[in-house]
Amino acid sequence: MHLRGTEIVDTFAEAFPMTAARVVVTAVNSKWAHVAAVAATGYAASVIGCDAEAGVEAELSPADTPDGRPGVALLFFAFSRDVLQKALVNRVGQCILTCATTACFNGLPVTDRSVRVGGNLRYFGDGHQISKMHGVRRFWRVPTMDGEFLCEDLFGTVKGVAGGNLILLGTSQAAALEAAERTVAACLTVPGVIAPFPGGVVRSGSKVGSKYKTLKASVNEAYCPTLRGAVPHTELPDGVNAVYEVVLDGVDLAAVGEAMRRGIYAAAGPGVVRITAGNYGGKLGPHHLHLHELLGPVPPC
Amino acid sequence: MLTLTLHTRPDVPLELDGVTPDRLLKLAATDIARLPVAHGNRTVELGAFFAVTGDASDGDVRIVGDCSRVKLIGAGMTAGRLTVEGDAGWHAGAKMTGGTLTVKGDAADWVGAEMTGGAITVRGSAGHQCGAAYRGSRHGMRGGTIVVHKSCGDEAALLMRRGLIAVGGEVGRAAGASMIAGTLVALGGVGRDCGAGLKRGTIVVGGPDPVWPPGVRFSCEYAPAYLGVLAKELAALGFPSLDVSGVKVRCHRGDVLHGGHGELLHLTPLQTR
Repeated sequence: MHLRGTEIVDTFAEAFPMTAARVVVTAVNSKWAHVAAVAATGYAASVIGCDAEAGVEAELSPADTPDGRPGVALLFFAFSRDVLQKALVNRVGQCILTCATTACFNGLPVTDRSVRVGGNLRYFGDGHQISKMHGVRRFWRVPTMDGEFLCEDLFGTVKGVAGGNLILLGTSQAAALEAAERTVAACLTVPGVIAPFPGGVVRSGSKVGSKYKTLKASVNEAYCPTLRGAVPHTELPDGVNAVYEVVLDGVDLAAVGEAMRRGIYAAAGPGVVRITAGNYGGKLGPHHLHLHELLGPVPPC
Repeated sequence: MLTLTLHTRPDVPLELDGVTPDRLLKLAATDIARLPVAHGNRTVELGAFFAVTGDASDGDVRIVGDCSRVKLIGAGMTAGRLTVEGDAGWHAGAKMTGGTLTVKGDAADWVGAEMTGGAITVRGSAGHQCGAAYRGSRHGMRGGTIVVHKSCGDEAALLMRRGLIAVGGEVGRAAGASMIAGTLVALGGVGRDCGAGLKRGTIVVGGPDPVWPPGVRFSCEYAPAYLGVLAKELAALGFPSLDVSGVKVRCHRGDVLHGGHGELLHLTPLQTR
């Protein structure tokens, strides 16, 4: 299949379930909300080496936040609720509680599968914390040197989907990067989706395992242009000189699929020779997002 | 919807104890008219004072007429919707655990006293001891919300343990006295002794500078994010919205004679949309 001259490989992205939480961070203005958001979602590219995968989902206007201040919605993904709770408590405690003027709210329905964040961070108040109940929602107000840190007690979780991905093979680094940026922008128009890597774009292209026993992942040489002449097998057709991957996590499979569909349409075009996706032969995850099925019938060029 | 229309104004207080939407659900209108109610020191049938029409099976009950001498309207209700198209007498919604009670006129003393859940809205004013503890009780209101659009009498939120009371106008003396927790909002100001004996809890006060009791100490001026959450909840309850963005908040702590963990926030200038 070809779309605007770009080959769409008949393959699939292999996605897998992860526990997800949505954190709404607000602050006195959007600048400080972003400062907290960037800090809290830092070092959260992949669970291969991080406690969680995280990213900014959306900007929120004051009308859309619980306290009527500018805010940012963040998504966090981890392999279990226990791990997610630990990651959230650490990240909110170190990066949001400490950040000037911020407050932190749950962005998903609270169920029996919720994690306790504010309820763990309240102890920082050393007995001066204040609990406020609004309906069934409990908020903790912890004194700080600029006033107070307001944090919701419980954060709802859902069974999200991680590992959605698109691999873009470009004629040059500039062309591939431009396509990757278009792709990320298009993918992130879908609510409930984040691209956890820096700028949403991955250049490392890792494969599972390594010749070094201690490494869980290492470079995927089949996609490295500089190794085309050094390895027995390459996935790069002639004319490809740079590859970028866009990795996506979402609150459900439909969101990830829709993000990938929009991403493919945004990426295809001049300078992009081929669009493919990463999988492990179906052995890693239960969700297979087939590129051709996502696209549906493509109108002839 | 079931409608109870007051056709004879009682000369001494009439008590509607137990006449609540949740208890009327399975009763026919004729049976409801025969329910016993206390009129002074005598027991009479409800139909002696109210015309009963409609069907209570949807949990929606409307009371029409001047019920300022009718006590215990909605007292102890657990679910359903009760609307008073006029004034309500003493103890309206007292010890409620659920459902909604709306009084379109004024409510007399003890509205929502010791309630533990549900929502009460008084479009007019409320009397004394709104959401308070009865004499000898250890706790007042323990949950739910009371919204009073106009003013409120003395001892509102006395010994309040949890929940939210919001008053659009002025609240009388000893507002939030001996509060244990919960939130009291008095946008039109408060009388003397507000927060006296406060252990924990939040009292938000608008209007002129209150005369705080001796155990209340000034802490700082700041902009609590929590007020934004409170403002949104009040707006959802149909309460005049706070424009917290333009408000200077003077934070006090007290009552230091009782631990000093309570907070008293004075908003100036108060702006309502």
